[in-house]
Amino acid sequence: MSMYQVKPICGGDIKIDLPTCMYKLANIHAQQGTGCNPEHVDPAVKALEARQNEIMRKLYELKAAVEGLAKTVTTPDADLDLTVSSSLSSQSSSSTTFKGTTDLDTQLGKDHGALRDIVVNANPAHPPLTLLVLHSLLSQRYRVLSTVHVHSSVAGVPPQLLSCLGPRHADSYARQMFQLGFTLIWKDVPKVEMKFSIQNMCPIKGEANVARFLFKLLAPYPSDPALATLVDSWVDTAFFQLLDGSAKERAAVLRALNSALGRNPWLAGPDVSLADITCYCCVLQSGSVSSAPANVQRWLKSCENLGYFGPAKLLLQ
Amino acid sequence: MALNLTINTNNLPLGALLAAEHVKDSVPVSVEEGKDNRLHVSDAIQFNDVNSISRYLARLAPALGLYGSNMMEQTEIDHWLEFSARHLCGQPGLAEALGELDLALSLRTFLVGHAVTLADLSVWAALKGHEGWPSQGKSFSHINRWFSFLSSQVPFSAVGNKYANKKA
Repeated sequence: MSMYQVKPICGGDIKIDLPTCMYKLANIHAQQGTGCNPEHVDPAVKALEARQNEIMRKLYELKAAVEGLAKTVTTPDADLDLTVSSSLSSQSSSSTTFKGTTDLDTQLGKDHGALRDIVVNANPAHPPLTLLVLHSLLSQRYRVLSTVHVHSSVAGVPPQLLSCLGPRHADSYARQMFQLGFTLIWKDVPKVEMKFSIQNMCPIKGEANVARFLFKLLAPYPSDPALATLVDSWVDTAFFQLLDGSAKERAAVLRALNSALGRNPWLAGPDVSLADITCYCCVLQSGSVSSAPANVQRWLKSCENLGYFGPAKLLLQ
Repeated sequence: MALNLTINTNNLPLGALLAAEHVKDSVPVSVEEGKDNRLHVSDAIQFNDVNSISRYLARLAPALGLYGSNMMEQTEIDHWLEFSARHLCGQPGLAEALGELDLALSLRTFLVGHAVTLADLSVWAALKGHEGWPSQGKSFSHINRWFSFLSSQVPFSAVGNKYANKKA
């Protein structure tokens, strides 16, 4: 209602000699300066406006509640995780992130003044889908400054790979405002490489190992040694046998997935874990969706209901 | 209850045996010979590959620090576990892999951190079991230093005498 007020362009009382052969019309500009004043708005209009806002807010909450319920129906353990309750209580529509508190300082050790920059070299011929999914989860949790570069060793990188980390950040010059830097370089490398802390760490090779690192920034591994190792074992299986293996090995993995998913809703027990994320991406990437058995199909749908996999699906199209 | 590790004598899981040897004071593991490598945890969970078996044993005895003391060390250990499985157990490209390993060891006593970890166990085991290692290893001084340093330690020499020599 508060608009910029324009002064009258011309005076209201200019005398003009009008011909008498025309109708006379009352001056339509006569009551200037009274209607535009915010103080003079009818209180009834204000009340109406407040009511409309209230109705919109209620509708919005209702929509979130229905979406949450829809997830409960189609996802095995949605009633256990925080998705539904959080979408009911808060109005943010962002998808769920992982349970458990993780804090960058406790995870990475407190290093005053050091900026945390993750640099990943990846080959555009084999886009690391898991890492893109984990990147988008990280961006929901932390303030991440993401950039994509192309190394001189490759040419003709498709546009969807150049924009795979989302739009360029407006404040990219102010690195200290971000908690994490994530730089993806498309490069002619045989395997995904990550460089994090050059002084104390060797370069980490293999998408599986980078994925483990990124996931630990989001949520801790299960505290039970057997479950934690089960997660690692599925991650290895996904990359070694689904992505790099022969057709026979892929079929064997699909059978193993099927029997594991017959016992539990998710691969490593009652909760979603890195195992589900990597296996989902690798099943999609290896093109085994159509040949997947029943439990795997059901689990693929459950994964999709979680809504993490936007970046992966975008690249596969 | 003691854990039961079944080993395949034709395809010895040296890395897993080394891990079992390291943790034996806190986690007793009985070893028996069989058709394939398998660590039976429960009816629902058993691990068949060397890396998973080693990881599980290391996690059962966190005080030993075999899986590193922080997240960055764990990530490096994951890197070396995959490195030994992919580049040191297959024949082609051994020289290139050894070059990379030599470079990594040039300023280090142990592969990760300042103590023995799964990374040392799995890379040592892969080299010990590799037919090409003794002949190709001459020119890599850092690997040689590290390899013979570890070989002289008790768990390594115990496993080496008990299993690796039996194969020859």
